[in-house]
Amino acid sequence: MRDAFSAALIKIAQQDERVLLLTGDHGYALFDEIRRLLPDRYLNVGVAEQNMVGVAAGLAKAGLRPILYALSAFVPIRVLEQIKLDICYEELPVVMIGDGAGFVYGALGASHHCTEDISALRGIPKARILSPADAHEMTRAMELAFSAERPVYIRIGKCDIGAVHEGPIKYDWGELIEMHSGDGGLGFIATGSMVAAALKEALRWEGSSVWSAPSLKPLNAKQVIAICRNHRAIITLEEHSIYGGLGAAIAEISSTYAPCWIGRIGVQDRFARYAGSYQYLRSEHGLDEAGVSRQVDELVERIGDASLCVSKSCRTGILVPETK
Amino acid sequence: MTARPNRKFDPMTLRRTVLEMAYAGSTGHIAPAFSIIEIVAVLYRSHLNLGDGSPKSPGRDYLILSKGHGIMAQYACMRELGWLSSEDLDRYFSDGSMLKGLSDAHIPGVETTSGSMGHGLSVGVGLAWAAKRRRTGQRCFVIVGDGEMNEGPIWEAFLFAGHWGLSNLTVIVDNNGLQAMGRVEEVLRLGSVAEKLRAFGFETREVNGHDEAALDVALQQLDKLDSSRPRAIVAKTVKGYGISFMHDNNIWHYTRLTPATYRAAVTELDGKKKSAAALS
Repeated sequence: MRDAFSAALIKIAQQDERVLLLTGDHGYALFDEIRRLLPDRYLNVGVAEQNMVGVAAGLAKAGLRPILYALSAFVPIRVLEQIKLDICYEELPVVMIGDGAGFVYGALGASHHCTEDISALRGIPKARILSPADAHEMTRAMELAFSAERPVYIRIGKCDIGAVHEGPIKYDWGELIEMHSGDGGLGFIATGSMVAAALKEALRWEGSSVWSAPSLKPLNAKQVIAICRNHRAIITLEEHSIYGGLGAAIAEISSTYAPCWIGRIGVQDRFARYAGSYQYLRSEHGLDEAGVSRQVDELVERIGDASLCVSKSCRTGILVPETK
Repeated sequence: MTARPNRKFDPMTLRRTVLEMAYAGSTGHIAPAFSIIEIVAVLYRSHLNLGDGSPKSPGRDYLILSKGHGIMAQYACMRELGWLSSEDLDRYFSDGSMLKGLSDAHIPGVETTSGSMGHGLSVGVGLAWAAKRRRTGQRCFVIVGDGEMNEGPIWEAFLFAGHWGLSNLTVIVDNNGLQAMGRVEEVLRLGSVAEKLRAFGFETREVNGHDEAALDVALQQLDKLDSSRPRAIVAKTVKGYGISFMHDNNIWHYTRLTPATYRAAVTELDGKKKSAAALS
């Protein structure tokens, strides 16, 4: 996925002379290509992320098209207020790349883990959030981000776990991509690194469907409503806090327009305890294969106790906005 | 200080406008506005290239009020430029008004949003960098408060400006020695601002920030320097300058005018204006 990012970056920079990459002294080896091909379009501002965001705002106001690159633990988390005031308040065309989201930097500990970036940014007006699952979604994310001409954050999580799509994929802002369709029983909605996990877990549930959500803000409410209406229960999966991320976003829409059972699988309200590999930390937080299966089993069991609540008759009379 | 009544951006007229705004809106932040009156007056009158004269004129020089608490001083200048109407100023701080109590980039002519400190300089550095890269000839002036220099990004931006040789950037430090809760030297000792700026690679001048002629000379000198370094002026100022009972008195960061203090301030200003007119 990082290769896809680098390739897309060079392509865009070659096409548009306004494009400039800013890094806060991160991305070792990742930018070799752009530095070789377009050396004057690469700007290492040093280990000074707050200044980097302000500088990017200034560059964007002057007509340039800055792309910020940092670890997601720093952009957006460390510089949230700069993003809010300097970029989003004026809705400036700045693309922010947050690499290593989730537990990618496993053994480095809490400073490099990032499971709160989506929730932190979702509340900031005008901020758009993309969370690609593989190189194909990443390539499209870069196209969307650059043509948006407004603030966009692209979350890059674990990127060497293989592709979930067979080839290039087109999706639009807010769109959920149907990975495979089901019969209206369980529906899995996942984002980023957890799409692959959802596809695997779905194999255990006959007739289940799987959706990838690469665009977390905006999120196509009409599509979410349709998915909630057409399934007995939804399970969301994300390598992010269960607060304020994908699961919360789906639940917000569902609770107002199409109530249904929603189980949110993600990081509980705690930090990682130990050092460990990426896989180790996924398992510590119940996000590995066994952990996901256990949580889905528990949820399905609970729904069984209250299955009437998801019957069709319960759903009549729910207010749904007019479709445009 | 030689005062010439009826010229543009006359400091006493600007102070009067600030008083009227603060009184109409029942607001504080009078003292931080008064400390930068001469700075904004000199910049708008003689140094900023305003292009076609409209607030968003392409090719304009940028003026960034990074210490957004002094915004009334800038509004007063924008009134003289015709960018704001008297009606706008009368409605300052009121429900539904465009004019908020801190600098806000949604207002044409105000380049950045401040109030949270330490933002404007980085944006200004970005604007200066872009202007230099594109050889537009634009300059960027950033007014930073000495209290604001508590903030980390200020120093990140100084490093960046020095490293990139942003000779089209002029930082003007409003060195009034007071911040929200007390003396700068007591809250978080700053020491010599000029020495620090020189250490960061700035061509630096120290002037009396209420002496328009001295500010003029310093700005001209820095502009003419053949140097690839960023520029800085440490303007020694007094918070609340211009009204005796506000002079160096931090209460006027917060206090609102009563009918009595408003009348007293206006009477004092009018008296000064008359004696200045008699002298000229």
